[in-house]
This record gives sequence, C-alpha cells and structure tokens, in this order.
Amino acid sequence: MTRDIIALAGRELKQHKRRTFAVISGYALTVAFLIVLAAVLLYSRVVQNITIGEAGTYFVTWLPACGDISSLSEEELAKLARGIIPEVCKEKCENCTGCNKKPVDILNEGFVINTNGTRLLTLDLVEKIRALPTIKDASACLMFRFRDPQTNTIFAVGGIDVQSPAVSTNCCAASDLIDGNFLTGSSTGRVLVDIGFAGNHGLKCGSNLVVASETFVVSGIINSGARPVKPDVIMLFADAERVINRRIQNPLENEANLILIESRDATVHGRALEDVKALMKGDSLLTTGCYFPAAKAIGLNTRLIWAFMALVAVAAMLFSARIQWASVIERRRSFAILKAIGWNNRVIILQQLAETLAQSVAGSLAGLVAGLAVLLLVPVNNLLGIDATMTRVLNPGLFAVVVAFAVTAGVLAGLLPVLLVIRQRPADALRRV
Amino acid sequence: MLESSKMSLLQVENVAKSFFQRGNELKIFSDVSFTVEPGELLLISGRSGTGKSTLLNLLGGLERVSAGRIVFNDRVITDLSMSELAELRANGIGMIFQNFNLIPGWSALENVEAVLMHRGISQSERLQRATAILTELGLGDRLHNLPAELSVGQQQRVAIARTLVNDPAMILADEPTGDVDPETADEILHLLLPRIKSGRTAMIVASHGLFNPALATRTANLKDGKLYL
Repeated sequence: MTRDIIALAGRELKQHKRRTFAVISGYALTVAFLIVLAAVLLYSRVVQNITIGEAGTYFVTWLPACGDISSLSEEELAKLARGIIPEVCKEKCENCTGCNKKPVDILNEGFVINTNGTRLLTLDLVEKIRALPTIKDASACLMFRFRDPQTNTIFAVGGIDVQSPAVSTNCCAASDLIDGNFLTGSSTGRVLVDIGFAGNHGLKCGSNLVVASETFVVSGIINSGARPVKPDVIMLFADAERVINRRIQNPLENEANLILIESRDATVHGRALEDVKALMKGDSLLTTGCYFPAAKAIGLNTRLIWAFMALVAVAAMLFSARIQWASVIERRRSFAILKAIGWNNRVIILQQLAETLAQSVAGSLAGLVAGLAVLLLVPVNNLLGIDATMTRVLNPGLFAVVVAFAVTAGVLAGLLPVLLVIRQRPADALRRV
Repeated sequence: MLESSKMSLLQVENVAKSFFQRGNELKIFSDVSFTVEPGELLLISGRSGTGKSTLLNLLGGLERVSAGRIVFNDRVITDLSMSELAELRANGIGMIFQNFNLIPGWSALENVEAVLMHRGISQSERLQRATAILTELGLGDRLHNLPAELSVGQQQRVAIARTLVNDPAMILADEPTGDVDPETADEILHLLLPRIKSGRTAMIVASHGLFNPALATRTANLKDGKLYL
C-alpha cells in the first residue's frame, strides 16, 4: 500500500506541475527566509558579544560614602574622625569597615572613586567576587584623595595590583604608557602619573613626587582614556596603603575602597553585574563602561529580528495552509469519487500526507540550499566591519530546526483541510461539488 | 450476521429518507421495501426528483437512511461505519453514476485501476485486469486518454469498466444509458446483461424512462414518496 501511495502522490504532483511548483517555491522561499533570519539572529549574538566585549566587560563596585559630611557639626566630625559614628550615619554601615579610619583632614581628603566619596570594604569580598562563576578576575584597589599641604593641590592616588587583568581594563594598562616604564610587581617607590596631572605639575619621567611626606619617582606618564577608575597618580597597592595610613586615624587592615572586576565574557556580563550586586548588598554601586547603552541597542535589534522571524513563520504557515487548502478544495470531488469507489478515509489522508510531505521536504531542501547560498555569498562581516564570519553560526542543528518547522507546518497545513473535507459523506460531496 | 439460508442478496426493509433544509424536513420517500436476488435486474423508474438516485446512494452506503434497514450479503449495511461501507463498495457493490464521476486528471486506465488499489493487488495485476476490461469494452486504444479526451459514450464505458473490474455481487446504476445515444446505450447494455444473466451479479437500475423495461427482470416505480413494485 505504501508503494501505491507514494506512486500516486508522485503522479498527482507531476500532473499538477504548476500547483506543485507554486507550493514547493513557497516552502523554499519560506525556509530560505527563515534560515537567513535565524543565521542573522545568531550572528547578531556574535556581533553583540564582540561589541559588548569592545565596550567593556569590566566594572567597578564600591559603596558610596555615608553622606554629606558638610552637614555634620564640628563635634560630630571630631567624633567621626575618632571612629564614633554619628546617629545620622548609622543606617549606611553594612559592609563598611571604615568608620574608625576617617581622614585626618576630613573635609579635603578621603577615599574616593574619581569625584565621589566611598566607604571601605574588606578584602574578603574580593575573594568572594573572584569565586563567582561569571567573574574572570577581581582586584582590590585603593583610591584616596590627598591634599598637598604646601601647595593646597588636591590629587587622587590609586593603589593597584599591576598583575591583575581587571586593573588593565578598569584603571590602566601598559598600552596606556606615553613615556617611561610601566609599573611591575617590584616597583616599590615608583609611580605612574596621568598625562593631565603631569602637564599641570611639570612632571616627567624621573621627576620626584611627594605624597604624604613620602617621595616617589615618576616611572611613566600614561593616558588611560575613558576608564572607570582614573587616579592622578598610580602606585603599587602596598605603597598606597602605606601613604594613606599616614593620613587616616587608624591604619588599614586588609581593606580597599574599590573592587575592580572583569566578567568572564560578554555573554555573562549582565549576569556578572547582577551577581556582584547581590553579593555586595546594601547600596553598592557599579561603575561600568559603555555596556548598558550597547546592550540596550543590541537587545532592541535582537528583539526586532525575533519579531520579524515570528512574523515570517506565521506568514509561511498561512501561505502554505492557503495553497494546501486550495489544493484540497479543488480535489474535493476527486476525494468523494475515491470514497464512492471504495477508498477509505485513512488511505485518502495518507495520500494527502505523502503529497504534502514530498512538497514540503523538497521545498525545504531547496530553501536550505538557497538560504545557505545567500549566507555564504553575501559578505555580511565585511559589510558590518566585524571580525567574525557568518560561517561561525551555521550549524546542522539550525538547519534541522528550520526544516523540521517548515515540514511540520506544511504537513499540518495540508492535513487539516483534508480532515475537514473527508468528513463529508460521499453523496453530499458529489451532490454539492 | 443474519441467517444466510433465508436471506436474499439484498433486502430493503421499510427504508425512509428525509433531508432537512433550513430546519424543515423534506420527506423523499418512506416505507420502501424490496428484495433483490443474484441474476436479477430491477428497474426503478420514476420522474426526476422522486428520489431514485438517493435510493441508490442508500443502497451503496453513500448516504444514511432516516429509518429502516438494508441488508446486503448477510450484512446490515445500515449499521456499518463509514470505513466498513467503503470496504463494502470496494469488494461487493459497484456503482455506475449518472455523470460517470471519473477523476478528470487520471487516464482511463488509472481511473479503472484505482478501484483495485490499496487491496493488496500488485500493480502489474491491477494494470493487467484494468487493461483487459477496458479492451473488452472497446477502449483498448484509449487506455491513456484523460476523460476529457473521450466521448460521452467512451466515458460511460470507462465508468462501467471501473465497476466491472471489481466483479461486484451487485451493480447500482443511475441512468446508465441516460446521456448516450440509443446505439451506445445498446452497446452498454450488451456489456452488462451477460454478467447478470450468468447469475454472477445483480443489478438495480434507476431510470426516468430511457432504460428499456423489457430488459429488466422486475420493475418498480417510485412515486409520491412510495415504491410500487
């Protein structure tokens, strides 16, 4: 019986060449469209990761300072400097270890990230963050604003671990060097100076710079560009800890005020931000690069492509349903005749199924070839200026899903009308058609 | 199953048929009863619209009765499912329609072969049987013509070949000579009658006067919703 059904299906398709061609072309166009769209969608993920990677998969977490200390009375300030917490500050003390480490010159100096005051964090947090699966690296950083009592100059000093990848993305890297030498793990007593600060203060490589009564030699001049952490002077973490200790009430004990972080990669960057935020609790803040605007714009594109793909899929379903419906209606009388001469419904359904399958499989395969040809022939990566070829996203799984969708949709579209039509009694169908 | 020793080939008992149109019942006929034996040719005559075709459709299981029952070859066909009725038409009852009902896209040979399909008969045997019957009916040189390429008489002969290829126990023919000239009508009858006379098959013909009653073994008249034997 199977051979008869296949042979009859072949005969039927051959006898109605135009209709068969229209149906197969419909499937081919649909599948080609879906293949191209699906590939573009997957490719956009690659592009997204590249773009976000370029925008930066790095960020800094910190806790903002307790509040505006200018609102405190002199008595409260004096108490605060001794580590006695004023009532108004007590709400913001979670995760903070610094109330007894207030600066000597509390109005001019303090722990900062660029222009914002910060609290202190224990270094245990750095280890916890580094252990997160979404994190590649985390590094403690000290950033303290000093006032030079001789010149009244205010400047920020950053203490870093020069080996850390998170430092090179969040603060400075050897590639930022304009003159001189970058710091190494053994660069005790040496500093890097930001190009702007160096220009304003006439500093060059080899110049001496006094920080909290300690003299440092300028090892290099850097231009670190748009990074979240931009101190005027950069030194090793231990050097920074030592000079800062001279300007606060009590010495630091395994503490930092910033944690510089690098996500594992662009695909988990959003999750990494959430993970760190959850770990930090309280009112912690994250300072990121251009991640959010980039992700938002790319997310918008991705949603648009998904919506368009869904639209094409629905249109394809309707298109094939329309053609199959027309084909079945055209053959209503033939089905009724076949029933009248003894064919049962099962055979007629199988017959229709064989025809629909043959058309949808042939159309889908043709569409697959056409879609692949488009994807391989159009140099999308060159047009977008992206260093990732389209072939990266082409995989058999994608093709199988699209072809399976088209064939399933086609079979449903072909079977539904025939199921409706064969419910009619043969006499009714013969009388009416 | 019924007791076959007492049964005729076909037994029609108090059959009635009504249609419903816009909520109104349209009675076609009621209380129709008759029997048919093998080798018998029953002519059912009557004016157009009296329900002759409907009665044949009921006998062939193409429609359901409104009341009564029909027994064919010991099977109560009024109780059978659609697929059982289809099987019955495939194996025991052949139908010749007034307008032939050939599948337009299929050749004469394919139309005849279609009856033998899906019954476990090999393709070569199907083609051999279909070719033989078409040749016997004088269409040996028209095997691969589509219905539209055949004359009305030739189309009628293809329809008859389609019925006979199956060697049915009963043939239901609706105006088998209605659309053909007297000469072709004669030819058609000469093809059918020997099979009936041999006792291999019975035939019920519905006609509104174009069929020669002398050829029938029995006649009946469908009039005013009743069948008069």
